[in-house]
Amino acid sequence: MFEQELKDIWNNSSKAGQISIETNQLTEELNTKINSIQKRIRSRDIREISASVIGILLFGYLLFEIPFPITKVACGLAIVWFVFVILKFRKSKLQNTKTDFSLSVTEQLNSQKEIMLQQSILLDSALYWYAIPPFIMNFIFILGLENPINFNWTNSVAESLLPLSPNLKIITLTGLALFYAFTFWVNKRALKKDIKPTIESIENMLQQIKKQ
Amino acid sequence: MYRQKKDKYFKEILERNKHKIYRICNIYAVPPIEAQDLFQEVVFQVWKSLNSFKSKSSIDTWVYKIAINVCLRSKMKLDKNYCKTDRLESIHFTPIENEIDAYGQEKIKYLKECISTLNETDTSLIVLYLDDLSYKEIAIITGLSENHIAVKMKRVRKKLFECITPKIN
Repeated sequence: MFEQELKDIWNNSSKAGQISIETNQLTEELNTKINSIQKRIRSRDIREISASVIGILLFGYLLFEIPFPITKVACGLAIVWFVFVILKFRKSKLQNTKTDFSLSVTEQLNSQKEIMLQQSILLDSALYWYAIPPFIMNFIFILGLENPINFNWTNSVAESLLPLSPNLKIITLTGLALFYAFTFWVNKRALKKDIKPTIESIENMLQQIKKQ
Repeated sequence: MYRQKKDKYFKEILERNKHKIYRICNIYAVPPIEAQDLFQEVVFQVWKSLNSFKSKSSIDTWVYKIAINVCLRSKMKLDKNYCKTDRLESIHFTPIENEIDAYGQEKIKYLKECISTLNETDTSLIVLYLDDLSYKEIAIITGLSENHIAVKMKRVRKKLFECITPKIN
């Protein structure tokens, strides 16, 4: 078996089929694809940010409306946290969208590894920035709710929605604790099932390529 | 780059490289991902990145880089968007009956089988070697030194020859 024979077999492998490309239509299709991807990214960004914006507006309204001092502090903290989450997501997204396919294989693998490590840190630390802070804020918020009569405050809508009785406070806090525990578990699962195996796979490839 | 000039340039690149791209995609395609899915992803990435091509290497070497990177990413499951429903209508793959005789087809099958026994990065080296690229070009694509490539290639080629020779003989 000679090298040239092997190369001929290889070259013949693409002769089993004909690739026909309607190039004028292709450039149109590719432009449409780029536009649709950009549209999808924009709408995803809007969705993610709008959840935080709604949170800011809601807690801004409560900060203005509710007379209880401790709850007011919690509202202020919640607004700060929502702004922090928007910035954190935006920073993470900027880092993740830089996939340069024209890098060499080794550079591409190193760059992917870097992105995945950042993702891993983000998910691994979710408990400390995505679960515990809002839970503490909710805890302070609920704990700060007092009897509206003591503050001569009347707001039928807010009063019907807020957990003002001790029993409702306990139920709400338990529900919130479960919700944040679930959020934490989802992040850990994504880290274990998706991110870590990918990092291992990249490291494996990097080792393979460096090995002589 | 002006639109018309870019379109013309892109068509030339594609026409010159389509078979090379397809051969690489065919090696890396593992169900449910088909060679066609990888091929159109490479075409898409070439189109998307064409404006940023900096002439540090030849355009064909640059296309190889994109093809290998797209294929390796699919192996790592980094991109989950090679979806059949997103297939571009302007690219058609038509099988040609009787173009290669049964023995020729068997040899292609054996070659693919033997390449599949190599790890991902050795596969990328061997496909570039089979496409007759120089060590210098392979070094640009992989980011390794030419000496490193030479040492690795010796081992990978030996492994490939040991696998395929008894099958074909």
